[in-house]
Amino acid sequence: MNLFIRTKKRLSRFLSAFMKKRQSRIGIYGPPNAGKTTLSNRIVRDWTGDALGPVSEIPHETRRARRKEGITISNQNGSSLTIDIVDTPGVTTKIDYQEFVEYGIEKDEAIKRAREATEGVAEAMHWLREDIDGVIYMLDATLDPFTQVNIMLVGIIESRNLPVMIVANKIDLPDAAPQRIVKAFPQHPVIAISGLEGDNVEALYEKMLEVFG
Amino acid sequence: MPHKCTQCGREFTDGSTVILKGCPSCGGKKFLYVKSQDIHKDVLEEKTIGQIAEETKQQFLEIKEEKSRKVSSEEHARPRKIEIYDRIESITVVNPGTYELNIEKLAESDELVVRMGSDDKYLVDIHSMGTSKKKKSDRSKK
Repeated sequence: MNLFIRTKKRLSRFLSAFMKKRQSRIGIYGPPNAGKTTLSNRIVRDWTGDALGPVSEIPHETRRARRKEGITISNQNGSSLTIDIVDTPGVTTKIDYQEFVEYGIEKDEAIKRAREATEGVAEAMHWLREDIDGVIYMLDATLDPFTQVNIMLVGIIESRNLPVMIVANKIDLPDAAPQRIVKAFPQHPVIAISGLEGDNVEALYEKMLEVFG
Repeated sequence: MPHKCTQCGREFTDGSTVILKGCPSCGGKKFLYVKSQDIHKDVLEEKTIGQIAEETKQQFLEIKEEKSRKVSSEEHARPRKIEIYDRIESITVVNPGTYELNIEKLAESDELVVRMGSDDKYLVDIHSMGTSKKKKSDRSKK
């Protein structure tokens, strides 16, 4: 991690110690292409009007963790919650530049992208260990949730006793099966949404107030 | 109830599907149901797993190999793949641009051990180990 980020982190830690109140930092984790950045953008846009990062169909578009601070989520009952959202790079056990070449990226650029994506996974895991207070675990509801990465990562999150909620994304697609995700992780709350279309995000915010509030 | 490998004593959590392919440590095919409170009994009381089986009257769980596997001698000749959890490296550079990541290791610490290619060459990032220790001592001072 470069010096700038480290200094910034230290400074923010110093300031938060000064103000004695630190906002919960909620990390959005999940495998590549689950829709983490799409959801982060939606949350940030819905509550602050900003955006967090670019989205593409190519996996590992997000290769550095991005953070948006001070997002206040509220509901009609008057409950509210102020959090920092951290959009993390997709976590996987294998990164191959050939995958990017298949999306039409030049070989040299693909190799660079693979290296950055690898660093991104290491960074995501670093954040999980040091700076995250709660996790939104994103899954693509059109895919089988029983993968090594999902089981391992949910296990790691559980072992750290972090509050977690699972989001079954992409329910706007015809072959989405969010029930499969509910069955796979019965120990955690699961909310089915479409980050792209905004379907059911209200329920997601309500659940966030409950889980992270 | 958890299982224990009768050959090497490795423990597996209840419902572990890993054992369906045999013990990842020793390749053993026989497992015993052990009550969670008795899981360390073999070590503590210096008993063999066979003796524990007699005591608890639990039946061994034996994994039968698939027929097709038995036939192919190639399978046996090939070195057994080391399970991802047993690896010491956090990142393997298979080729430039192709990486394998051990996310459990990465979740544990920032200390980086990089394996280069498949011929067991390792790079140990001493810098990463130094900084994390320093950070820890910083925090303990506070």
